Amino acid sequence: MGATGTDKPKLYSDGKRVDGRPLDGLRNIKIESRVLNDADGSAYIEWGKNKILAGVYGPSECIPRHDQSLYRAIIKCRYNMAPFSGMEEHGRSGPSRRSKELSKVIKEAFENVIISENFPKTQIEIFVEVLQSDGGTRCAAVTAAAVALADAGIPMKDLICAVAVCKIDGHMAVDPGKEEDNFGESDMPIAFSPRTGDILLFQMDGLLTREELAEGMQLARNATERIRKIQVDAIHKVYAEPKEERFLVIK
Amino acid sequence: MFVVIDVAENRIVMPGELLSDKPERIAYAFVDKGKTYSTVVGLYSEGKLVPLEGPYEPLPEDLIVGIISEVKFSGYAVAINAAYVSFLSSREIRERYEMGDAIFARIDRVDEVKSVELVDAKKLPMGRLVKVSSVKIPRIIGKKNSMIDMLKSATGCEIFAGRNGYVWVTGNGNQVLAEKAIRMIETQAHTSGLTDRVAAYLKSQKSN
Repeated sequence: MGATGTDKPKLYSDGKRVDGRPLDGLRNIKIESRVLNDADGSAYIEWGKNKILAGVYGPSECIPRHDQSLYRAIIKCRYNMAPFSGMEEHGRSGPSRRSKELSKVIKEAFENVIISENFPKTQIEIFVEVLQSDGGTRCAAVTAAAVALADAGIPMKDLICAVAVCKIDGHMAVDPGKEEDNFGESDMPIAFSPRTGDILLFQMDGLLTREELAEGMQLARNATERIRKIQVDAIHKVYAEPKEERFLVIK
Repeated sequence: MFVVIDVAENRIVMPGELLSDKPERIAYAFVDKGKTYSTVVGLYSEGKLVPLEGPYEPLPEDLIVGIISEVKFSGYAVAINAAYVSFLSSREIRERYEMGDAIFARIDRVDEVKSVELVDAKKLPMGRLVKVSSVKIPRIIGKKNSMIDMLKSATGCEIFAGRNGYVWVTGNGNQVLAEKAIRMIETQAHTSGLTDRVAAYLKSQKSN
């Protein structure tokens, strides 16, 4: 989303971005799985300064009954930003249009990987709460929700993840921070199934040439391997360091 | 599928992870373009995949612990830790139950929309319910009942482990200790040497 004005910061110079990263550098990502007592599966992600919790319930009885399908589980998703997350007007009641949009696209990404035919007449609920936002929350949300679903034991065709690419000062770069998101020339979040390379979420703001788009997509694809490793490590840690109580430690 | 797996020979696989370059028929796995992949986080070894987590999927002949959730005209609705309703017909039983009673029963039929019918029910005496993930139940029972027998003798309780993840602890023994031991097994079900560790834990607690 480009912003006009003479006070637009220089986003890329001397081979470095505003936070010193190279064009293909990801922000620091940490994931902890199995962190909520009540949810069937959960994950907490810190991606740069983003702090997001994902909780999954299900399969459980589909309520309301008229939503249910005789052939598969219905996937439901609620993406919500806490009033103190930093992006919205504080205490605004009800989901914003953006929250509804993200709930929809995240749900649709998972509808294509969850093997829902195993559980007719049920629902699987994905809840994502953004505690602190700093650009790229939908990608972090998808990445965390995938871990939460795996934690719940819900069968999926793949462990998916998402990352955004942006165009800053004419260069394609991966994983924009808030500043790059606000002042860059384009922002393109993409969710992948690393197993097949399939795309499950694809949105774009701004203007890109075909070549820039292709370059951006390749940058994003290259980043998924690093992100997937962090997801897998988080899941392995649950079994390498088993704990009886599910709790969240924010260091 | 009451199998206790030694984790030393297994590896933990992720959803979407490749298990085989050939199409194989493995539970909890799927075939895509001639190759076999896992659908869950599980332990995989030589053609067998055991999920480490997951919902309870009712199967005929499963022995389960259920809680009466509704008294109907011709029978009872029984909660069995599944997303699906289970029904116990009055014609199948001699006893009468009330809401909240615990029963031990067998699954007779599961239809194509996963509605469950129970038979051979018996009421369980007053006790406590320990809910665990259903995939951990084989470990709580152990090879040839080794683990559950040890729990019963060490705590002096009667323990009914339902395949659905509901464990009913009853009797005059140390129910609190039994519950703690069950939780310990649930958390460490994927590790080896667990039986010895649980035995050591129970022994240390008994002397307190």
